[in-house]
Amino acid sequence: MRQQIIKFTVNGRQYELTIEPHMTLVEVLRDQLGLTGTKFSCGVGECGACTVLMDGKPTLSCCILAMSARDKNILTIEGLAERNLLHPIQKAFIDCGAIQCGFCTPGMILSTKALLDSNPNPTREEVKRGLAGNLCRCTGYVKIIDAVLAAAETIREGGKSYGQSE
Amino acid sequence: MRVLKSFEYFEPRTIGEASQVLFMYDIKAKVLAGGVDLVPSMRRHEIQPECVVSLQRIPGLDTIVRDEAECLRIGALTSLRSVELSPIIKKDFVALYEAVHQIASIQVKTMGTAVGNLCIATPASDVATALFVLGARLRIASVEAERIIPIENFFIGLHQTILHPGEIVTEVLIPSSSTEAGSAFLKLVRMATDVSKVNVAVAVTVTNNACKEAKVALGSVAPTVIRARKAEEFLKGRRLEHKTIVEAAELAAEETKPITDIRSTAEYRKEITKVLVRRAIQKALDRASS
Repeated sequence: MRQQIIKFTVNGRQYELTIEPHMTLVEVLRDQLGLTGTKFSCGVGECGACTVLMDGKPTLSCCILAMSARDKNILTIEGLAERNLLHPIQKAFIDCGAIQCGFCTPGMILSTKALLDSNPNPTREEVKRGLAGNLCRCTGYVKIIDAVLAAAETIREGGKSYGQSE
Repeated sequence: MRVLKSFEYFEPRTIGEASQVLFMYDIKAKVLAGGVDLVPSMRRHEIQPECVVSLQRIPGLDTIVRDEAECLRIGALTSLRSVELSPIIKKDFVALYEAVHQIASIQVKTMGTAVGNLCIATPASDVATALFVLGARLRIASVEAERIIPIENFFIGLHQTILHPGEIVTEVLIPSSSTEAGSAFLKLVRMATDVSKVNVAVAVTVTNNACKEAKVALGSVAPTVIRARKAEEFLKGRRLEHKTIVEAAELAAEETKPITDIRSTAEYRKEITKVLVRRAIQKALDRASS
């Protein structure tokens, strides 16, 4: 009765799903599509762990009804690498030691992508602002900021994605 | 994962349809614009509407335009991020730009709307405080009628607005006259992402070295955002020397009725109001003169 059918695209793949209006996007991504790379943490828009890109914009999947994602194009962390080729942002996070427990990482990386898509050459301050909606409880942020700047440089030099991870 | 309680969901295509549903469900209905406040409140089970009316499929509400009368119009679905990135707002409506720019989370700004922020009716709204000094008005629509009211008349208490059942705020209107003023917005927070302990917006116009008109708005120091009318009256017609500014700031602080909560004590809020008002007047003055 209350069930609704929605269509949307996630990581380039079209889905048609039956959902209920009270479901948030993060629930549908994780529980129905099995895309558990998107993390659920605070549930109220404070931490940014659930960040995905919706039509290229950084979006909190815990604070948006799945209904609002109808006909939208969604990118989650699973859609960033091209087969076994890591995205330069992923590679930079690994190389710079910007990952500890990893729980904030998918959100951090997608916020980074949104930032670098609109500003390919950010200052350190602009990186901090760009990631202000993402909390990390392990690292103290320094290595994350280093990683974003390193990724920006790689992308500017034309490094689209990385394959030769040894 | 704490999930939302289920509800009836509507996606009307026009304001009229939305208004009808809202009227029918009355207090059991909630409007969904960006969702950054509504969805978390529902997840915390603070509010459990029987009906959610999404405005997201109504065309024409995501706009920032300057009309023939040079009035700036911000639609009900315009995100805070769009406000922040608008060159017109950054140039001509500085207090609003500063208020939105200081909201930290990009995601919240991308999803959250300026009008939605007003409709929550929190006294800590940075957006409302800025809009108070820019002389903003709100266009409110319902099935049968439409009205436009000054933003000061919109809030009647903590989380309370003058909206009747079925009424929807469709846009914010900012008059071009506000562009003659120099304006500034300042706030005090513990960390960038926090809710304001105190926020202050000021707009001043200056002629012949004297203050022609001043508007001072204060947030988080009363049940709603307030204008500091005594301070405004005091500033009018005076030369804005340091002594005058200090005195006006004292008057502004006297007009506050702050509470003590987890973010600050009432006493501290009063003290910091003085400091922020003083600095904001100076900043607005520098902009008005240059």
